[in-house]
Amino acid sequence: MLRANAITKRFGRTLALDGVDFEARPGEIHALLGENGAGKTTLMNVLAGSLAPDGGEATLDDAPLLAGSPRAALDAGIAAVHQSPMLFERMTWEENLALGGFDQAAERLDLAAVATRARALAAKLGFELPPAGTTVENRSVAERVRLEVLRALSFNPRVLILDEPTSVLAPSELNAFLDLLRNLRAEGRIVVLITHKLAEAIAVADRITVLRRGRVVARTTPAETSEEQLAELMIGEIVIQPDAGAARRHPGETVLQIENLVLDDYPRRRILDGISLRIGAGEIVGIAGVDGNGQTELVEVLAGVRQASGGTTTSDGAMAVIPQDRDLDGLILDMRLWENMILARPLREQATSYGWLNATRAIDLCRELIERFRIQAPGPETLAGALSGGNRQRLEVARAVASQPRVIVAHNICRGLDLAATAEVHRTMLDFAAAGGAVLLISSDLDELLAICGRLLVISRGKTRETNPGERDPGRLGLLMAGARD
Amino acid sequence: MLSSIVKPFAALALAAALISIVLAALGASPIGVFAALAGGAFGSWYACVDTLVKSTPLIFTGLAVSLAFSGALWNIGADGQLMIGAIAAGAIGPHLGDFPHLIAIVIILAAGALGGAAWGGFAGWLRARRDVNEVISTIMLNFVAIQALSWVVHGPLMEPSGAYPTSAPIASAAQLEFYFAPSRLNLGMLLAIVLAGVCYLLMFNTSAGFELRAMGRNRRAATFFGVRIPALTVWVMALSGALSGLGGAVQVSAISHRLYEKLSPGWGFEAIAVALVARLNPLAVVPAALLFGALDNGSQAMQRTQGISPELVQVIQGLVILIILAFDTPAWSRLREQIFGDDEQPAVPAVAALPAA
Repeated sequence: MLRANAITKRFGRTLALDGVDFEARPGEIHALLGENGAGKTTLMNVLAGSLAPDGGEATLDDAPLLAGSPRAALDAGIAAVHQSPMLFERMTWEENLALGGFDQAAERLDLAAVATRARALAAKLGFELPPAGTTVENRSVAERVRLEVLRALSFNPRVLILDEPTSVLAPSELNAFLDLLRNLRAEGRIVVLITHKLAEAIAVADRITVLRRGRVVARTTPAETSEEQLAELMIGEIVIQPDAGAARRHPGETVLQIENLVLDDYPRRRILDGISLRIGAGEIVGIAGVDGNGQTELVEVLAGVRQASGGTTTSDGAMAVIPQDRDLDGLILDMRLWENMILARPLREQATSYGWLNATRAIDLCRELIERFRIQAPGPETLAGALSGGNRQRLEVARAVASQPRVIVAHNICRGLDLAATAEVHRTMLDFAAAGGAVLLISSDLDELLAICGRLLVISRGKTRETNPGERDPGRLGLLMAGARD
Repeated sequence: MLSSIVKPFAALALAAALISIVLAALGASPIGVFAALAGGAFGSWYACVDTLVKSTPLIFTGLAVSLAFSGALWNIGADGQLMIGAIAAGAIGPHLGDFPHLIAIVIILAAGALGGAAWGGFAGWLRARRDVNEVISTIMLNFVAIQALSWVVHGPLMEPSGAYPTSAPIASAAQLEFYFAPSRLNLGMLLAIVLAGVCYLLMFNTSAGFELRAMGRNRRAATFFGVRIPALTVWVMALSGALSGLGGAVQVSAISHRLYEKLSPGWGFEAIAVALVARLNPLAVVPAALLFGALDNGSQAMQRTQGISPELVQVIQGLVILIILAFDTPAWSRLREQIFGDDEQPAVPAVAALPAA
């Protein structure tokens, strides 16, 4: 039995956990639900030993866990998969996994043996690993999460805690992943699944604990509850889903035109294979796909970070990009909010005259945006890294919209966001389109795409294919995403 | 803000305490040694002024390093850039006799800045276009600069009699004057302080400075938002080199009046320590450089009166840097938070301490 007794944890003035009691039994999947900022990740970090609580203690089978020591937690049999993958970018996946429990030789690092064991376990779980010697840096987020799950399982843990693992999985991968959790349960392990996907919690969990603002607000089971009730418990109010009608109106003149875009990577690997696309004013066009099929590169080419090998992109007016990895690509976490705001060139120019940066003006601008987009932050001088995930995303969306572009290219903008924040981001995109903007939304979340996109394309191995309205159901799209030709 | 001023002094005191133990173990009187050190650095008007003179090249190079490091460009080549700047100044200096004083000064300093800019800019270009790590290129260019200086004073720029390995003296019109003779205080110090202010404004009050800091904190995000990394890299390295080269030219114009081997006792390397102690803040570079200049200057008096080797001063400097850096940790930030409240933002928040969800 994994137990947390009256855990309290404070960050500065924020009380992240306020006397939380939690327990999970062997042979159960326990879902931990909550909005962004509810304290789920903090609780996981306390249980996994990454954080020492200010009050209370965690026990496994009545033996107290040494606070603040991930090593001790691992030795006790608690492994964690963190939300932002903790991998070594410049190292190969074998080397990354060697840090786990696959490396059994005491004297010598045997990467081949690590790879063999890892492949065997991966095959059992139903996925493949990259070719030997591939570094992590160019792998997709989904692949990284799989590597993390493998690494955690390599310790053969009694308790596995997963922080939002499914938010990066494709629909086709999701069922396999949930089955994997069920297998782990059948083996008598304790599985703690941190998520804000209600359907998933109801589908797979035996018990559900709901956190809100650092407190437990409900302990329930799937049989006793419903998605609606859980949503209400998490948020405290009912979320109104955005009305997608706006994005399906007749599009205006062409704003973004991509013609036969090709990107070849060294050595001779075709990443983008002749992508053509046209987006009109007022349109939201979605690109669905399993991570790693060229989406990241497409965004990089559109943002000008990468040079395309062929093809043209013409855009009628400025383009704002919201990259998928807010912590690495979108924000500078150890800079202040106002500084992050003026990262966007148009906003920077607004706060600059003759090369001089007018900080007061930038700060005022930022304060306005904080209010307008309801970013929960003490003020413009706060460091971006001090914000919760949802607020970091609000900051990125605010920045993109405030730079008054004609086109917004957004990649997985709602990854890891809770219902309220997701609805808000979608609302903002719909408003932007309704005002005559064009949105290219690249996402691996089908629900999101179906909810707000007027037109939908599917990307697979660097090729896109337009879908017709009759194909707008998850099953059909899942097949197309997996590479089905027709 | 207050604690960032207090901190270096606390580190200094801790270093002094450690050194005292060493001194006592060697049988010397710690108090006598430190009194001699302080007296040598600040004991008289002359000593104070000389401390300023010794700090001047450290301010120039310290600013150069701060600027480059702020953009995460690890310029280890301030020493080489300073030497190339000095060579340019020493080469042009003897030919400026016919110019008015002011113009001659402008020319000789500009020559130094250009020389340093070329040296630093080349490393920047290698990084931007050929993807050569600037740490390697600047270290290698230091070696080239050392040998270039040695070659010119034995070869093309050797003084006419050919008896000494130095260059011909620069024209008196190109010499920065001593305003407090017999001390060697000159306008170079004032220029250095003005440039500290300019660098501060550049870094924190201009759009280009913002792009520089953004590049330093998160290169990828800067790329995503249209910062032209290659161009910025070349410009910043050139500017950094220009500051170092200017330091070399000031040294030639005001102090040495000619080139000789070993012109720099390693200012460009000490500058890294200066910049780190100043936490890359150009305004803080001035007091940090003064601290190191005072240690340099005081060491000579210490050696004279107490028979302690000046190398011990280097030990003290090393300890000061280590202690300052060791105190700049999340643990220290938390302690500070408890003592001063959490109003001050830590420079880099520890990832584990963030409320992620």
